[in-house]
Amino acid sequence: MEKISVTIDGRTFEAEKDRCVLDVAHENGIYIPSLCYNSEVTSSGGSCRVCLVEAHQGGRMRLVTSCNYPVRKGLEVKTDTPLVRRIRRGVLELLMARVPDSEVILEMAAAEGLTEPRFRKDEGESERYKCIACALCTNVCAEVVGVHAIAMTERGADKKPATPYHKPSEVCIGCGACAYACPTGAITLKERDGVRRIWGRDFEMVRCSVCGTPYIPVAQVDWIVSRTGKDRSFFDKCPDHR
Amino acid sequence: MAAINSVEQLEAYRRELASAAKPDLPTVLVCFGTGCQANGAIPVAEAFMDMVKEQGLQLNVNIGFKTTGCHGYCENGPLVALRPQDILYLKVKPEDVPEIVEETVKGGRVVERLVYRDKVTDEVVPRYSEIPFYKHQLRIALRHIGTIDPTSIDDYILAGGYAGLAKALAMQPDDIITEVERSGLRGRGGGGFPAGTKWRSCVAVESDVRYVMCNGDEGDPGAFMDRSIMEGDPHAVIEGMIIGAFALGSHQGYIYVRDEYPLAVKNLTAALEAAREKGFLGENILGSGFSFDIKISRGGGAFVCGESSALMRSVGGDVGEPRAKYIRSVERGLYDKPTVLNNVETWANVPEIILKGAEWYASMGTEGSKGTKVFSLVGKVNNTGLVEVPMGISIRELVENIGGGVLGGKKFKAVQTGGPSGGCIPERLADLPIDFDSLTEAGSMMGSGGIIVMDEETCMVDVAKYFIGFLVEESCGKCTPCRDGLPRMLDLLTEITEGRGGEEHVAMLEELCDLLTWGALCGLGTSAANPVLSTIKYFRDEYDAHIRDKKCPAGVCKALITYSIDPEACTGCRLCAKNCPQECISGERKKPHTIDTARCIRCGVCKDVCAYDAVRIS
Repeated sequence: MEKISVTIDGRTFEAEKDRCVLDVAHENGIYIPSLCYNSEVTSSGGSCRVCLVEAHQGGRMRLVTSCNYPVRKGLEVKTDTPLVRRIRRGVLELLMARVPDSEVILEMAAAEGLTEPRFRKDEGESERYKCIACALCTNVCAEVVGVHAIAMTERGADKKPATPYHKPSEVCIGCGACAYACPTGAITLKERDGVRRIWGRDFEMVRCSVCGTPYIPVAQVDWIVSRTGKDRSFFDKCPDHR
Repeated sequence: MAAINSVEQLEAYRRELASAAKPDLPTVLVCFGTGCQANGAIPVAEAFMDMVKEQGLQLNVNIGFKTTGCHGYCENGPLVALRPQDILYLKVKPEDVPEIVEETVKGGRVVERLVYRDKVTDEVVPRYSEIPFYKHQLRIALRHIGTIDPTSIDDYILAGGYAGLAKALAMQPDDIITEVERSGLRGRGGGGFPAGTKWRSCVAVESDVRYVMCNGDEGDPGAFMDRSIMEGDPHAVIEGMIIGAFALGSHQGYIYVRDEYPLAVKNLTAALEAAREKGFLGENILGSGFSFDIKISRGGGAFVCGESSALMRSVGGDVGEPRAKYIRSVERGLYDKPTVLNNVETWANVPEIILKGAEWYASMGTEGSKGTKVFSLVGKVNNTGLVEVPMGISIRELVENIGGGVLGGKKFKAVQTGGPSGGCIPERLADLPIDFDSLTEAGSMMGSGGIIVMDEETCMVDVAKYFIGFLVEESCGKCTPCRDGLPRMLDLLTEITEGRGGEEHVAMLEELCDLLTWGALCGLGTSAANPVLSTIKYFRDEYDAHIRDKKCPAGVCKALITYSIDPEACTGCRLCAKNCPQECISGERKKPHTIDTARCIRCGVCKDVCAYDAVRIS
């Protein structure tokens, strides 16, 4: 891998060419807030616009999303300028108005000195709840899990993740990776009596033969076995008792 | 006929076509563009065909007949042109056909009631080329449209088609790119990026596969130049793409056409088939050893799919959403391969540039914007339609000389250019030359070339509201500023037009504009502020009137206007009372009427029907 040097907030670091600015910054202790990006998911990012930074390159300055802007030779990044703060504040104010119930957004906005959005709040839209339509859930499902059970549907302000035709998905394995990855906790995953409910479908859980705790959906075991050829008996015990 | 296997064979075939052609034969050309077909061109064409057959048999008179692409003067359709007399008939009906054949085709006389009559001077202009709408035009991209039959490849070849390709195949690919660079051709789809520079940076990327693409996803309200070219001269686009592919070393091309353009899809499909048969597409084109083919990809009509990265995702089978273009399409485009995407009009210019040379093309236009541009001139103007003029013509020349001035002698207020990504330019700047850079400097943009003329009865706040409403509907929803910012802008604009706006509304709009411009993901989002910013910049007084005085000076915003009847002008004819849907106009016959403003819904029907101009808006 080709190494190049990149300057972030006046400090110069060695980094692999084409890695994203945000990863390089975080590894070097420079915090940039973000929502829709997960460094384990290459297809994620670019949507929430919270991680915008100034990129100075070739005599030109652009505001770019650090989560997918590649570091290249001669790049100078500024993460804390008046412009960056102004636009980030604006984005967070819009998100506050969109999902007034989201604690994550409220906290992030508070860090920018925002307590109330000046715009009409989207209250009472229960379907939207806390979703900021960032598509991290669908990216995780497609890229990491590999089942494509959910996708982004609709467009504009109505954009949201959903199963095909809003019906319980036949291909969903109930793994809950979408709910785990969601930055705002907008995806509900409920478990009761050894049954997990997510995206409108119930999944029977495998109970640990030692502690009896239901810990993985049968459908997920089927998927892993079919994909990896792993012995099914491996899943008899939960990770704590293997 | 068999495929043409060399440049020599192509020229021999052209000579063969020319010797069989009879340029002096009286020929009837019926416009078969979408507009004229909608206006009833099909029965007109059928009537001509019957007449031609009948007269030909009975009188042994030969009459040529063909249907053509769009002449651009759609509001006057169906259009019928007659050659070689150079006569244009407007609004032709099937019952006019016998008279046209008898008088003009056979007798050489003009049927006066069907020719152009100037709305201001009342002058009658029978000659096609002398009609003011056409007289000031310079047609390059539209060079064949209206004269050739788009479904006939022979017609295209006879008109000089594929000669640009023949010349290109004898050139070094690199020299073709240099020629396009030197011509100064800039992308006609919106941004105006230099086409040659794009091609050059694409070949610089090492790859075994490269794609050339044509963007036919025209979506700006009122713009239809690309449709007209795809319908009326599909081979010009195809020839341009083959030349581009040869220069770039690409073997596969795609034309992305919106499915709402069925005639464009049909004519392009037929043209591709004909080009394949003749050997202009496929293996070993014209014996050069170069192979290339083109597929059509039909779009579902999302405005955002006109954005290059969304378009490529759509062609690739994904949801049409833009991606960050930090790595450009010329490096990683369709299927992650180096891709050159140009607009329909850009491709249509390429064969002419190669054939006639970069100097010829660069001799037209301005310093930074060479050649010509097709505009769709619409709105409150006497002549509307598609016009092609050299870059650098002033807004005023376009509106007054070609457009014939503002409709009904009203006051010219502004033009909106560039669609939802563009802005409004006031009348006082109408002497501005139309080119990429001056429009951008004025806070608008060239866009795809839509020009909407506005008069004193257009409310600029309402215009901004219209465009933001359009963008709210068309936002893909991927990034926060566009998805959630535009609906808030629409809220603020709606409140202003309903008299509920405060002083802080304009400041908040400006803040949101700033957020979109800096923070949105794609070009549609970053330019979405233009309709608002340009109207605030040039028409701040109108915003203030809505906010401070709760008045709409143009008399458009319903919440802020009242209708009344001027008792001096009213004759008591009762026409308004009869047409009022609310039945809230009362008065005795032959005595002045009054409107019950409490029940009036401000629909404007009374004003439209009044023959005495007695209805007032305040």
